[in-house]
Amino acid sequence: MYPSELVARVRSLWRGLRNRDTVETQMLEEFRLHLELRTADLVRTGLTEEQAARQARLEFGHSEHHRVDARQSRGLMFFDQLRFSALDVKLGVRMLVKHRGLSLVSVIGLAVAIAMSAGAFSLSESLLETQLPLPEGDRIVALRNRNVAEPGQNSASLRDFMTWQSELRSVRDVAAFTMARRNLVAPGVELIPVDIVRITASGLGLARTAPIMGRLLLEEDERADRHVVVISFEAWRRRFASDAQIIGRSIGLGTDQYTIVGVMPEGFRFPVNDQYWIPLSIRAAEQGHVDAVPLTIAARLVDGATLQSAQAELNGIGRRMSLLHVETYRDLRPQILPYSRAFFGFDDPTIVWQAYVLRLFLSLLVVVVSVNVGILVYARTATRMGEIAVRTALGANRTRVVTQLFAEALALSIPGAAVGLLIASIALTKLEQLAKQEMVTRSFGELPFWVHLRVSPSVVIYSVLLAILGAAVVGVVPALKATGRHVQVSLQQLSARGATRMQLGRAWTTLIIAQVAVAVAVLPFAVHFTQDAIGAASAPRYPAERFLGGSLGMDQAMMQADTGAFVQHVRDERFRSLAADLIRRVETDPLVLGVTIRSHLDRERVEVELISSAGSVSVIKSRSIMVDMVGPNLFTLHDMPVIAGRTFLQSDVDAGIRTAVVNKVFARTILRDTGSISTAVGHRIRIVQQNANAEGFETGSWLQIVGVVDDFGDNETKRAYVPTKIGLLSAPIDFVIRMRAQPAMAFAPRLRGLAAAVDPVLQIDGLISADERLRQRQLFPRYLAIGMSALTVSVLLLSAAGIYAMMSFIVARRRREIGIRAALGADPRRVLSSIFARASAQIAVGILVGLLGTLALEQVTGKGPVRDGNIVVLFFVAALMTTIGLLAAVHPALRGLAIQPTEALREE
Amino acid sequence: MPPNAELLPGTLDVLILKAVSLGRLHGYGVLLRIEQISGGALQIQQGALYPALYRLEHQGLIDAEWGTSENNRRAKFYRLTASGRKRLGVETASWNRLAAAIARSLAATPQEI
Repeated sequence: MYPSELVARVRSLWRGLRNRDTVETQMLEEFRLHLELRTADLVRTGLTEEQAARQARLEFGHSEHHRVDARQSRGLMFFDQLRFSALDVKLGVRMLVKHRGLSLVSVIGLAVAIAMSAGAFSLSESLLETQLPLPEGDRIVALRNRNVAEPGQNSASLRDFMTWQSELRSVRDVAAFTMARRNLVAPGVELIPVDIVRITASGLGLARTAPIMGRLLLEEDERADRHVVVISFEAWRRRFASDAQIIGRSIGLGTDQYTIVGVMPEGFRFPVNDQYWIPLSIRAAEQGHVDAVPLTIAARLVDGATLQSAQAELNGIGRRMSLLHVETYRDLRPQILPYSRAFFGFDDPTIVWQAYVLRLFLSLLVVVVSVNVGILVYARTATRMGEIAVRTALGANRTRVVTQLFAEALALSIPGAAVGLLIASIALTKLEQLAKQEMVTRSFGELPFWVHLRVSPSVVIYSVLLAILGAAVVGVVPALKATGRHVQVSLQQLSARGATRMQLGRAWTTLIIAQVAVAVAVLPFAVHFTQDAIGAASAPRYPAERFLGGSLGMDQAMMQADTGAFVQHVRDERFRSLAADLIRRVETDPLVLGVTIRSHLDRERVEVELISSAGSVSVIKSRSIMVDMVGPNLFTLHDMPVIAGRTFLQSDVDAGIRTAVVNKVFARTILRDTGSISTAVGHRIRIVQQNANAEGFETGSWLQIVGVVDDFGDNETKRAYVPTKIGLLSAPIDFVIRMRAQPAMAFAPRLRGLAAAVDPVLQIDGLISADERLRQRQLFPRYLAIGMSALTVSVLLLSAAGIYAMMSFIVARRRREIGIRAALGADPRRVLSSIFARASAQIAVGILVGLLGTLALEQVTGKGPVRDGNIVVLFFVAALMTTIGLLAAVHPALRGLAIQPTEALREE
Repeated sequence: MPPNAELLPGTLDVLILKAVSLGRLHGYGVLLRIEQISGGALQIQQGALYPALYRLEHQGLIDAEWGTSENNRRAKFYRLTASGRKRLGVETASWNRLAAAIARSLAATPQEI
């Protein structure tokens, strides 16, 4: 076929589909003209007008046939058969209402599957997106060095910035920036620490966004080391009450004064999620240490340049650098990649592909659920074989019947998609909240400005496509099966009033076993997560609403090139003296009952070794223990009773750290073999801390357990407390303040004021009352529990529906046999047991496979009912599945028993 | 009038192409032109004409436009496209080869074997 012919065919098809009515009218007009002209010719041969018209019609034949043939010639017949009529939709909705149970189960199953796929799609879309919401945002790139010796260690220095800025031709607006945190000090403005970005003038130019007031940063600002700042629209509105005279106003950032020179438009947050931009002035000290100044570097691809061409140019520069500065650049390879990909570490095409594969995998979840629903629908279709056979006999072809069943399936999958999108939308909003909260709690700053977890138009399109795919599986597969060889047989059976011949064979059995197995395998984990959520939700045993927690840090000096040990030591000394001063002031405040330190060690980097009091009997290493560095007064401040041994004394911190206190959960689980809780006292533990910078572990000295304290009730996990004091810590430290009266948060502005009075370099972050922190901490386990429960419920429902459908089908097929057996006086129990036999066998095999699955999952995840000593859950799950399965079988079985022998025989 | 010849399958399309290559025609006109150029030997089944016309139009071998017929009615006129002309050339050559081969075969005598 020539290309021109292909174009003509597509054009003709398009015209035929778009202007269906016009094409039809023109066709009939052409037929009419033909008949008129032929009639006129025949009249000229001597026939009367009437005879001629009749003759012309006879010669022409049936115009309806020609119309159909003509549509076939235009390739339109296939589409005609695919067209949904209002009747198809009506029938679909009627089926939905008629088989309410099946519809509900199918919609729930599809909704959960579509929600998960749509959520994953939105998530991956946000993370893999390379188009920043800025002018030509897809051409903004990140430049950095990949360390081939230490994968994941990517860096760029001041030297790289200077080299790339002066030499690279494939990119322009090469910009560098670095982040810092400063206290915002201005009259009439709440004193809070804010993230500021030190950025080259080219950085704001790179974003191609004009300020709404004032100006951007200029190169002269950098050269002259001017203290100027550009602020965001949101900061202008929120912190400075939309002050119209903001330009020229002076504000303090840490200990320095800055003049506001510009306000950016609403929503502008480049480069990450920033609101205060100050010039990146390179000081003389830094110019002497160009390799020691870490920077993040971004640029814009020039017109005509591609990532590949820019990478080639960068490689050339990289090779030269590794020859000039062998030590520094030996393991470094320069890399250019889309800005957002660099941010999330998607720097390797393999990772990106893995993300896409994961997305595809989650889409397949919809197919799996659709196959399940499809098989349920198959059972429904089986009961409609008569109707399908009659329709076929009346002239409906296979495509037509399949289309109708597809339309009916769409009536299931479209509501499924709608509910799924609703669930996804709620889940994504919650997830974004949670992610923002986590980022703030962990001091990671904020989510980057281009990430918005929401149901975007592309997510809607994706979900609709999934719904269509689902409908194709749900409707078309059973339809093809139903309109196959069975049709003729069904037609014969219809006249004989016999039962249908459609089979529920091995595929069906496998499916039900698989469903039961999945439900059984997943249920214990759902129970586990739900228990976690309930555990996290338990009420604290101290008055949480009166406690205010937060983190105390110190302004990092800007871009220190000389970060030697001596300077660090001086910084620590200064911090400790300021912190001690602040704590003294807080303690003497009339609103405050007491204050203490409570810093968590990073659980990922800590292992605890345990040795029994009787000597080196056993050493248990565990990573699942939380270690808190606490002030000696922590327990008394929280009114927590000591169950065994003693609490900390001041002497525990004054004469070197030699002691520890553990909580009840620790004593009960780690030391369960040693008898009562009180025997924990006397054991020794050692904190083995993995050093972030060096390989291996840094091992501390052995600490004697001197007491067991009651659980705080807010987070029932294994916990060891090690005493500490300000004099032993560096910034930042976490503190807890107990107020005399609630609410604790009301003290926050006063606390910030006290800190500012001590020294503006002190930064107070993450202030939150203990009850609010608990509420936030409960969110994730709660969402996880809800998600797992939704998944489990949908699997349970699908398997129950599967068993129900199978039983109904068996009863329908054995109707006559049951009737005869009843007529002959068979024992109803025997009839029942014969009906139940197949269901019971399938449920039993499913449960067995599922339990094996649970054990396998437990091996993989390291969590599970057996490890938690919670085997009862397994029995519970087995009993639950058996009950659900048998309940699903009861109704059809009773229906079977209710068959009157005379009725069953009359149907013969 | 010569006796009517049976139309071989697949030949209607090429006859329509030939008819419209001689000038633009409406559907009934195509019918008359084929009868005319075949000397009345070929009679087209009228109902088969329109599906064939639409098929050729769908394939881009003929093009259609609306005009006025001899009895002053709106009529759809067909004409050959460049692709159609090319196709007609190919089909004509192929037909001539086939006809010559069959004619030769039928004219064969025992002496020639």
